[in-house]
Amino acid sequence: MTQALVQIDNLQKWYGDFHALRDVTLHVGAGEKVVICGPSGSGKSSLVRCINHLEPFQGGSINVAGVALKPTGTAIRDIRTLSSMVFQQFNLFPHLSVLDNLTLGPIYAMRKTADEAKAHAMQLLDRVRVADQADKYPGQLSGGQQQRVAIARALITDPQLLLFDEPTSSLDPEMVHEVLDVMIDLAQEGVTMVVVTHEMGFARAVGDLVVFMDAGEIVESAPPEQFFSAPASDRTQQFLAKLDLSV
Amino acid sequence: MAERISHTRLGDGQTLPPPRQQSGFLLALRQSFFNGWVSSIITLALLTMLAMTLPGLWSWAISDAIWSTQDSSVCRAASGACWAVIGEKHRVILFGTYPYDEHWRGALVVALVTGLAVLSAIPRFWSSALFVFWGLTTVLVTILMFGGVFGLPYVGTNKWGGLPLTMIVFMTSVVLGLPLAVVLALGRRSHMPVIRAVCVGIIEVVRGLPLISVLFMMIIILPLFLPTDLTIDKLLRALIGMVIFFAAYAAEVVRGGLQAIPTGQYDAAKALGLSYWPAMIKIILPQALRIVIPALMNDIIRAFKNTTFVSIIGIFDVLGATKASMRDVDWVRYSTEAYIFVALLFFVYCFAMSRYSQFIEKRLDSERER
Ligand SMILES: Nc1ncnc2c1ncn2[C@@H]1O[C@H](COP(=O)(O)OP(=O)(O)O)[C@@H](O)[C@H]1O
Ligand SMILES: [Mg+2]
Repeated sequence: MTQALVQIDNLQKWYGDFHALRDVTLHVGAGEKVVICGPSGSGKSSLVRCINHLEPFQGGSINVAGVALKPTGTAIRDIRTLSSMVFQQFNLFPHLSVLDNLTLGPIYAMRKTADEAKAHAMQLLDRVRVADQADKYPGQLSGGQQQRVAIARALITDPQLLLFDEPTSSLDPEMVHEVLDVMIDLAQEGVTMVVVTHEMGFARAVGDLVVFMDAGEIVESAPPEQFFSAPASDRTQQFLAKLDLSV
Repeated sequence: MAERISHTRLGDGQTLPPPRQQSGFLLALRQSFFNGWVSSIITLALLTMLAMTLPGLWSWAISDAIWSTQDSSVCRAASGACWAVIGEKHRVILFGTYPYDEHWRGALVVALVTGLAVLSAIPRFWSSALFVFWGLTTVLVTILMFGGVFGLPYVGTNKWGGLPLTMIVFMTSVVLGLPLAVVLALGRRSHMPVIRAVCVGIIEVVRGLPLISVLFMMIIILPLFLPTDLTIDKLLRALIGMVIFFAAYAAEVVRGGLQAIPTGQYDAAKALGLSYWPAMIKIILPQALRIVIPALMNDIIRAFKNTTFVSIIGIFDVLGATKASMRDVDWVRYSTEAYIFVALLFFVYCFAMSRYSQFIEKRLDSERER
């Protein structure tokens, strides 16, 4: 049996008394794309944050590329080359130029030389089509450009897994596509991706599996064709009906 | 059928000149000073007060004043101010009990520190080279003040005084106090309970005490805890007190800045694999400190004025030295004039810092808009 790149088994997470993730089990094969959707507050962010070791968890196990994450959330650096994350609010460093945003991680966390880091950064900025903005500050860029810089920054650690938490939700509508196009390019290059998004076009285009979460648990998961044409649970149907109205 | 009311007229695309604006000196005068009857009454009242006080002030401070003499009886004969006291006593006021022939060393210290402070304030010069310059200046100031090398006679700290001492106390409070404030502020937000408790303890205790009692604690209580054969220089003890006092207040300001940084910045730093110190030094602190610079300038100006407290424990800063210089029976009647001189000195430094803090606030605002 081939090992999955990401193996989450019986994951439990509480915020204080609040049970945010209830017995979540999710396996992601290398090179596969999993799209997670679900209503606000269903635990999507909590799940990807746990995978990226930004949140501690209280039960179950998370394995990324054969490395078991510690529930306490310590030893971050060991898994840095394993996964990277793109946030809804971009979270670029506003006081640093675009280029410095990218080179900071390699120089200070991976002990690369400045020249090495810069060459790699320029290559990635070119890949997300913002190389001409390298010397600007994030505040001088449009939202779409900022998110593409954030994607380049996530790629700079050469991760085996890319996590996205609603990458297009804070963008103006006309900028959603330039970001989705970059993501679709990455998907077609074979990067393993876990994407929290409500862009169902993206799910249809590149998704191998669509996962629907509600109230901290996975309610349904299926390949996109089946998920959209014949959703099994009522909750999924209701959710999809609302999405169709708003899109 | 009801008639439609909504309608529009298409634009004719003409460019019109802007409306003429009234201007002129008289109009500005009227708007500033006689804008309505309340404003007029206040203006008139203030003018009357000026008319009553200015002539007296003028004759005391200017027309009847004695500007220079070495003979205090000349002043006694005059009815105006005796500015001559400053000419007579300025060396003691400015340098305290520092040996007379070595005053140039103190003057050089003041010039060095003031010059470098001015340089450091100019954004164009902000670079890590400044740290090197401050390091070098510290060495130079120490050599100049103590002497004992390069043929300079040795001068103990018990003889230091005046403006150089004020500068040293001020600069030490700020230059060592700021990093300590950052450490205390970070410690207060630490996840480790012991570190957090220690930092909260220091901050709250020191903020709960008047500066005078912090200084007395350093002078009187500190030796009780130390082995008897270990005596720490009095000035050094005062400096430690000043540094801690400044740091406790500044730490709360810095903490405000840290709180203003969105958690997404911490997430992004973590997601890049940065550990605590690189994340703080490269990402969080540069943003947090930028936010609190205007508030910190407030604390820094206060630190300058707080230097005068050291005279209470027998260290002669410029104000203490002035007081000491006025023990001369010939001139004691003219201490008002001497204090006015010192007040002006303080005003020049504090006003410059205050204006600078306004400038830097504007500059940082425009940077944020970028
Ligand atoms: N840091 C936190 N502290 C307490 N509760 C939280 C925290 N983060 C998220 N939650 C709660 O956990 C639930 C799931 O949140 P989240 O994972 O952000 O959901 P989603 O991303 O699907 O909107 C929500 O009810 C939210 O209020
Ligand atoms: Mg979310």
